[in-house]
Amino acid sequence: MPFRLLKYAFKKEHPAPRFFKSHETPKKSYDVVIIGGGGHGLAAAYYLAKDHGITNVAVLEKGYIGGGNTGRNTTIVRSNYLTPEGVNFYDASVKIYEGLSEELDLNLFYSTRGHFTLAHTESAIRTMRWRAEVNKHVGVESRVVGPDEIAKACPQLDLSCSGQAPILGALFHAPGSVARHDGVAWGYARGADSYGAEIYQNTEVLSIDVKNCKVCGVKTNKGYIETKQVLSAVAGFTPRITEMVGLETPIVIHPLQACVTEPMKPWLDTILVSGSLHVYVSQSSRGELVMGSSLDPYEVHSTRSTLDFVEGLTSHILDMFPFLSNVKVVRQWAGMADMTPDFAPIMGKTPIEGFYLDAGWGTWGFKATPISGKTMAETIANDRAPDLIHTFRLSRFEDYELTGEKGAASVGH
Amino acid sequence: MNGIRPLSEFIFGGEYRLTPDQNTSSDAEWAAYVHNRQGAPGDKKEWWYHSPSGTWFIAERNTLTDKVTRTYLLADAKKVAKESK
Amino acid sequence: MILRNTYKPGEWINRKKLINFTFEGEAFTAFEGDTVTSALWAAGQKVLGRSFKYHRPRGVLSLANHDVNILMTDGLDTNIRGDVVEVKDGMTLHAVNTIGGVKKDKNSYVDSISPLLPVGFYYKAFHTPRKLFPFWESMIRKAAGLGVVNFDYPRILKRKRHSHCDLLIIGAGPTGLTAAYEAAKAGLEVTIVDENSHIGGSLSYDYGGNGTLAEQLTELTKKIESLKNITLCTGAYAAGYYPDHLIPIVEAGGITKIRAKAVIVASGAFEQPLVFRYNDLPSVMLGSAAQRLIYRYGVKPCNNGIVFTANDYGYRVALDLLEAGTKVLAIVDLRSGAHGGLHAIEIVKHGVKIYAGHCVYEALATSDKLKLRGAIICAYDDKNSVALTDNKFTIECDGIAMSAGWAPAGALLYQAGTGMQFDYGVQQFVPNRLPDGIFAAGKVNGIFELDQRIRDGARAANDVLNYLGKTSEKSIAEKHNGAAPSHAYPMVPHPKGKNFVDFDEDIQIKDFENAAKEGFDNIELMKRFTTVGMGPSQGKHSNMNAIRILAKIRGLPVEKIGTTTSRPFFHPTPMGHLGGRGFHPHRLTALHDWHEAHGAIFTDVGAWKRAAYYPQVGQTKEEAIQSEALAVRKTAGIIDASSFGKVEVHGTDAAEFLERIFTGKYINQKVGSCRYVMLLDESGVVVDDGIASRLANDFFYLSIGTSNAAAVYREMQRCQQMWQLDIGLVNVTGAFGSINIAGPAARDILAQITELDLSAEAFPISHVRESTVAGVQARLIRVAFVSDMSFELHIPMIQAPQVWSALVEAGKKCHCRPFGIDAQRLLRLEMGHFMPGVDTDGLTNPLEIGAEWAIKMDKAYFIGQRSLSILSKRPLRKQLVAFMLAPDFNGEMPLECNLVIDGTEIKGRVTSISYSKFIDRIIGFAYVAPAKNGIGSNFNIRTDNGSLVSATVVETPFFKNKKEA
Repeated sequence: MPFRLLKYAFKKEHPAPRFFKSHETPKKSYDVVIIGGGGHGLAAAYYLAKDHGITNVAVLEKGYIGGGNTGRNTTIVRSNYLTPEGVNFYDASVKIYEGLSEELDLNLFYSTRGHFTLAHTESAIRTMRWRAEVNKHVGVESRVVGPDEIAKACPQLDLSCSGQAPILGALFHAPGSVARHDGVAWGYARGADSYGAEIYQNTEVLSIDVKNCKVCGVKTNKGYIETKQVLSAVAGFTPRITEMVGLETPIVIHPLQACVTEPMKPWLDTILVSGSLHVYVSQSSRGELVMGSSLDPYEVHSTRSTLDFVEGLTSHILDMFPFLSNVKVVRQWAGMADMTPDFAPIMGKTPIEGFYLDAGWGTWGFKATPISGKTMAETIANDRAPDLIHTFRLSRFEDYELTGEKGAASVGH
Repeated sequence: MNGIRPLSEFIFGGEYRLTPDQNTSSDAEWAAYVHNRQGAPGDKKEWWYHSPSGTWFIAERNTLTDKVTRTYLLADAKKVAKESK
Repeated sequence: MILRNTYKPGEWINRKKLINFTFEGEAFTAFEGDTVTSALWAAGQKVLGRSFKYHRPRGVLSLANHDVNILMTDGLDTNIRGDVVEVKDGMTLHAVNTIGGVKKDKNSYVDSISPLLPVGFYYKAFHTPRKLFPFWESMIRKAAGLGVVNFDYPRILKRKRHSHCDLLIIGAGPTGLTAAYEAAKAGLEVTIVDENSHIGGSLSYDYGGNGTLAEQLTELTKKIESLKNITLCTGAYAAGYYPDHLIPIVEAGGITKIRAKAVIVASGAFEQPLVFRYNDLPSVMLGSAAQRLIYRYGVKPCNNGIVFTANDYGYRVALDLLEAGTKVLAIVDLRSGAHGGLHAIEIVKHGVKIYAGHCVYEALATSDKLKLRGAIICAYDDKNSVALTDNKFTIECDGIAMSAGWAPAGALLYQAGTGMQFDYGVQQFVPNRLPDGIFAAGKVNGIFELDQRIRDGARAANDVLNYLGKTSEKSIAEKHNGAAPSHAYPMVPHPKGKNFVDFDEDIQIKDFENAAKEGFDNIELMKRFTTVGMGPSQGKHSNMNAIRILAKIRGLPVEKIGTTTSRPFFHPTPMGHLGGRGFHPHRLTALHDWHEAHGAIFTDVGAWKRAAYYPQVGQTKEEAIQSEALAVRKTAGIIDASSFGKVEVHGTDAAEFLERIFTGKYINQKVGSCRYVMLLDESGVVVDDGIASRLANDFFYLSIGTSNAAAVYREMQRCQQMWQLDIGLVNVTGAFGSINIAGPAARDILAQITELDLSAEAFPISHVRESTVAGVQARLIRVAFVSDMSFELHIPMIQAPQVWSALVEAGKKCHCRPFGIDAQRLLRLEMGHFMPGVDTDGLTNPLEIGAEWAIKMDKAYFIGQRSLSILSKRPLRKQLVAFMLAPDFNGEMPLECNLVIDGTEIKGRVTSISYSKFIDRIIGFAYVAPAKNGIGSNFNIRTDNGSLVSATVVETPFFKNKKEA
């Protein structure tokens, strides 16, 4: 047992302090107001203070911290993207994640398991080679592997997928990891709080005050706050915020669902994804299988669950692992995903001075939490987006310069 | 129009939007039309396709509650609009 | 069966049929109808499981699937819930999650080091130094989980059914049964479901010593059975609520998806434990669990028992224990003053002492820590919720029944969007705003007295009749009469803790206090930090107490704390049920059997199974492809292209329609000729291409790609809705088969089976003719996709085999052979044709693939035109070129999607590459930097292993290059 736990056994009073202070009413003004107390918003607050010395910051969360998509995703962290810009960005995130438990002094259970994207068709193999080659070029370990190597990493997998969609190979991505999603939000909250940033839960932004195309304040259910800089970090709710400032974006909301089984002794050590079967699955440190699928096919601003989703997902999981027939699904849930036409985020400045966007995270915002926090903090501090996120700027749509991540999405046949 | 059918028979076709005149709109206006969407929740007119019958129709749906209030063929849109006045 | 009592009417066991099974290697006998737990309890077995985290011994808690104390494996299946799974002859059972058996679990040491494992401990350690985390993680993973999955467990495909009814009632207790009877009497089709193997709910166990209640159930059952419009499903639980009143009912045999016009939730309430030190010892159980043992299974819960109660229900339990022959040593009531009404008087008559204003301060374990041996009792200050330990005393006993109150089984109500409010009169959340068509009755509605519940069931039935417009009789809703069924704060603090709130997750009161101290002081954060309610029983026995504890910590009323969000499933539901039969629909062409008989290897193209190649004896895949392609170049080959999308456009505006949909011009296209079509999306990206054959002024026949066919046709339909042109669209993809015969000998072979003049003058390239082929009416199209000499025959799908056979027969002499889509890919590459989806991706515009020739910007409109005009003003980012490798190249073969590299930069990628035996060169398409696209330019491709291969940009088709070479 680690010595750090001894103090809990021998101290009469519980020796751990509050993660972050509880504030009642916001001050009259802040240098920066961050809307959204999820991982992204809290990380931005943390890096604003740590990297740029900006501590007069309020994070406004309409529910509880980490209660949005931070707490609803399937916690996968990876960087095996298709474009060099995408790979570089997510790789920078992975690098921060690797040292984040130590930096925040909170065990995030960042666990590098290796990530297999299974290919059931020749065209999928082609796309995977594309990703592998781009990853290699940028220095990220991804490669196309054959069924033998998949079987070695996961001997329980039925490589024929019950004869329905035989696995021809996979993209293996060594740095693929999982982490405790809640912990990431809590750790950044504690870090930001320790530098002086103020976190307000149950605090909803009702409108944003814009004059002459410049931000000058936000109205909340706890009063008016003057500020010249506002960051919207509310993936799943972005259109509601951008509507407040009259900004048009391509973002539409689709629900994304997931489910979890009851705990069983761990046997699945890797993270598996199958595009053809629309499945991703890993096993948590509690022993639960955490499973997700593709987006719901139409726009709804709701976190309702559907039976179709869990029926389709479990059917495909059983194609891969027939022996799970009597393993039980305990719970299903949903989050709302900001979807963009090129499946890449929208980050950086906007035509409204002082209004910054950290949005459009689709299904993959969790893995970018550290780097999005860091780069958005830099964008706010310098009023200029760093090169690393240039490719994700809002104006790319007007420029017809959509990111190449869209490329793979439609390569079929 | 078709009675109550299971959701799996339908395909979502996005919001029903009026196309701007491509001859008079600027490049920026056209790019905005192509890419941007009204993403905020509320009552919307949407394209839906009923696969078994091969029918596109317009559904008026609230994207917050997921309740459909009306469905009609696009050709009948004017008639519907008149009736509701 | 040392604790088995004599027969009582209404019991669920069949004493005539004996069942033999083993548990942890020991043989036991049970009766048919026993659950695993009731059988073992009857046999005096008390330690039936181990807890998840601390590996504490556990016995019966709810006997109702509201906890997971007792999880078993039979060697094949795991996490079997002993409380509710019927024991079967020959079962060999073991408790899960132990090392060395349930009584001697080697992991029980974890309990003694539990102070080292405070709430959220895993966030606080193991991560530094970073290098050691994998070691700790592997330790933690070993300790995690419950049962072991058997990898040999068979895939079970459960059936699924769909069903409709007027009224679905969830819960067949007195409330639900009454509601069913009243609604059915008024003519409704009623389905009533209950998760238990028998109906009756609390009427099958909650007697308060009054056995005549069993007769009341018999009466009610008779009434139900007399009505034919009631469908009764036992052993069936409502797994969740989904939009539009869709409720999946899960039974052993499968799922029935019920859509009901109205739903009455009469699912009752979960009894909640009293929280005191060692309340988890085997033989400390819920009062209702004791009652279930007594009346359902004829089992005496214990010999010498104490009832620890915080409501009047405990007095009923005490009478039932007495009835079962248990010596009740005391009733310990948390509340001061006289309670229990008539029941208390009855109990006193039996000589049972009542300790009001007292608590069980601590349960005492036997020296082996496995069993209960007694309880320490002391006074309790109910106002301040503290134990007054000055005059504590011990009572020796072998059982404690606890009754603290209830939590509504309201999962489905929450999921349906019901507004719930906390009612202090009953100390419970009750519905106050029900969605349309959803009704609640009985305990879940805050109504507890039996007669009141029966009236509430009738009231709910009347509400449903009103809702459905069948009656206008007014309903009278009642309020609960009498003392609150639940106690406001049934917790006994203890400095040493181990007073469990959540038995799944081993969570004690101090865990909540400490979580709150660390800032996790709202219910959602607390749930996530402590994991309360996240175990397999999903908070059924723990969430309510957690809310009460948090309310106390924060000094807030309970309703300010609120509840966590309820999610499906009500009970964990097997994947085999949910997954059911997996459907993987495939489309087969009419020639599929022929391909199969001739050794074809198939591949998936969209939904279709297509022949990829036909390996001959001893041929590798590559050899097969080359020889098939060579046959087309040298003599002839035939391919089944039936999967192509095929669309007919009829009407006077047909040409106009095509002009708007596709990039080319069709108004002036001559009847009998064919033109290329390219479809873009509104942003100017290439979606698909194909051929338009004009069969008449007002009739075009389109053939388009396979994978996109359905989507493209859909898009055409949508456009037609908007444009309202004078056309009709027919998707004939499945109606027409298509066969392509290609190669120098194609004309001669085809001429043998058709009267049509096939000469170049009469039937030039890019033309279409209609004629008879092998006696079948056909459309013949001369396209130059794989060869300059090729004829595409479009014939009715069912007649495709006839034409195919005729072609095979006619081609025998000149060794015409079938070729698959792999050879087709190579052949079209040799011809220099790009393929959307292979040589383009989701961002490619026509300018990047050199398809300007296909784009007629001088038209009024086509989809994507305006975006293209914007794109044409912008510099190209990449350009598709045809390339060859050096004639003497013998290095590592580059593959599709290998990158084009210039210095340290990625410039593009290879999209198609193949060796062509005919040309005897490696040829392909690749994206390169626009500056490097001139004929003769060189660029570098990096192979899988990292070597750079030089390629040269060439003209297409590649043939000409060969001739020049």
